[in-house]
Amino acid sequence: MRIPTRHTPVGSGAEQPSKRLDQPEPPLPVAAQRRRFLGAGASALAAAALGAGGWLVPSGSARAQAAAPGPKARVVVVGGGYGGAIAAKYLKLADPDIRVTLIERNPRYVSCPLSNEVISGERDIESLTFDYRGLTRRGIAVMQDEIVAIDPDAHYVRGAGGARYNYDKLILSPGVSFDYDPIDGMSEAVAETTIPHAWKAGPQTLLLRRQLEAMPDGGVVAIVAPPNPFRCPPGPYERAAQMALYFQHHKPKSKVLILDAKDAFSKQRLFQAGWQEHYGDMIEWVPAAGGGTIEAIDPKTRTLTGLVEDFQADVVNLIPHQRAARLAVDAGLTDSSGWCPVNQQTFESAQAPDIHIIGDAAIAGAMPKSGYAANAQGKVCAAAVAAAVNGEPPPAPSYVNTCYSILAPDHGISVAGVYRLQDGRITPVPDAGGLSALDADPRTRAAEVEFAIGWFRNITADMFT
Amino acid sequence: MPAILRRRPPQAAEPRTHPDAAGPAASPTGSLMLLTLLALAVILSIPAARAGDVRSADMLAHTCAGCHGTDGASAGAAMPSIAGFDKGYLVTVLTDYKTGLRPSTIMGRIMRGYTDQEIAAIAGWFAARPWVSTDRPVDGQIAHQGEQIHERACATCHADGGRDQDQASPRLAGQWAPYTRYALETCRAQGMRCQPRKMAERVLELSDAELAALAHYYESQK
Repeated sequence: MRIPTRHTPVGSGAEQPSKRLDQPEPPLPVAAQRRRFLGAGASALAAAALGAGGWLVPSGSARAQAAAPGPKARVVVVGGGYGGAIAAKYLKLADPDIRVTLIERNPRYVSCPLSNEVISGERDIESLTFDYRGLTRRGIAVMQDEIVAIDPDAHYVRGAGGARYNYDKLILSPGVSFDYDPIDGMSEAVAETTIPHAWKAGPQTLLLRRQLEAMPDGGVVAIVAPPNPFRCPPGPYERAAQMALYFQHHKPKSKVLILDAKDAFSKQRLFQAGWQEHYGDMIEWVPAAGGGTIEAIDPKTRTLTGLVEDFQADVVNLIPHQRAARLAVDAGLTDSSGWCPVNQQTFESAQAPDIHIIGDAAIAGAMPKSGYAANAQGKVCAAAVAAAVNGEPPPAPSYVNTCYSILAPDHGISVAGVYRLQDGRITPVPDAGGLSALDADPRTRAAEVEFAIGWFRNITADMFT
Repeated sequence: MPAILRRRPPQAAEPRTHPDAAGPAASPTGSLMLLTLLALAVILSIPAARAGDVRSADMLAHTCAGCHGTDGASAGAAMPSIAGFDKGYLVTVLTDYKTGLRPSTIMGRIMRGYTDQEIAAIAGWFAARPWVSTDRPVDGQIAHQGEQIHERACATCHADGGRDQDQASPRLAGQWAPYTRYALETCRAQGMRCQPRKMAERVLELSDAELAALAHYYESQK
């Protein structure tokens, strides 16, 4: 598909974004616009898109060649979370001569890790909220904008209002999007108003908290857990523990019912032992084999239709099926799995050159979709991009994952993974990593809560300072 | 600013090339053909699993920052800052985590993922970073109690208020008190298995409050 010529920007759009804002958009559905936009491939467009002094200025662009020397390269990072903030920072650390722009749609970032403690009332959401001044102080241009389209041929991304950001290398850390279709009755509007997923920390986290507060003692909250793969594999099960912690102190006759589309889950034995130890029978897990898979919901009555039987709950926390963020899907960067295939050494897209994808949206071998994994991938990707800009081969990568779950104020558990690249795939190092001991003593369990909090302080400082 | 990249001639751009292949010979005036042949010879002479597998100290150490802070300066009270530690001390501790000689909740699981050479590279990288003390005020009275314990039981090895360090003794001054206290409690819980023995003997005699005071004192020293 071809982009309509009226879409073709004139001059360097990044320098004059306000002009573009005034241009009328063609009356096409947004998705169709994006598809057509992505299809752009005219060389004239490419020449126009690359601004003065660009690293990849095509020969024959007299305008660009006549300009003053510009940056060594322009790298645009889209998404300022656990992956994107790190990629931007470590790229700037690796080579200060690279011009780094971070584009994030929100002025402040709210962390998903530890947000289950907001749902239980153990923590204020402000304690999970960060701004981007630490990154601007490092010389990174942080733009508040929502990127709605990517032109991989002309090497630019476009903001919702029409602003254009040219790049030589693009790093996407866009996170996940939710697929509501598999469960009849669900939609984004239902999630935002009635049946929150709270799987992106923010308003829905607070909505779910309010629903728990309003629920009468003796009520049932149902957590509908999604099939693999999804963001934060231990998250639904930590959430169950945090909800039970709240009920234990405030509504002790209440129940947490986990309706799962799977027959096994992350840190399963550790969770089940911890649930039993602290909350007795308050938490019940229904695996897929036991009828846990949910096919439909009536949001008004909070009735869940399972494959075997129906369930009635007072509060429903339905975590939808997931795939890569819409931006990546619309840009054609996903495969049939719904996630983005990448070169696992550089995180460059398998489908578009000069576009790298990190974090939850990427297919990253054996790594889970976790904050620490995104952090590690951001650093590997930054090193690979810096190498490419400097005409060097990508360095041999190193990846680590560490993920804590807090089951009670004195009971933490963890999983760790150490990985290396093997035959092009991110592969666990044998005999390394693994879970907290099943028979750990209370002192160790309490220490892992302190380490969880220390982890959070350090990984967010790594991102935002 | 740590350098991330290892320079190689364009002919060695194959990603799975052993980085050492073109190392000393990477002169811009050298014969490119000869270099290519030399690189090929080195690749063929080493086990396939090692090819392109040598990871830089930057690459290895950056993955630690999620728990130990950017450049090893911890922002979390339960995790120690490790920047500027003696390299030999770090090698010993990280290796002891790997072998299980030193007890841990998670460090053992992580360190088993690295070779001895990689551990040495990680240790050297953190040893070369500047130490950063914590930036919060500490209770003066508790720190004073800790200082008296320090002078009585610890100052011989942890000299100058815990600022001095060597291969056997880490820097303690300016370290997070909650971490130091946890480490001391862990040592005490190990009893005489805690290394070194002369430390175990002293720590075993201290109460919870005394360990806490000692940790406070060390954090107060910058």
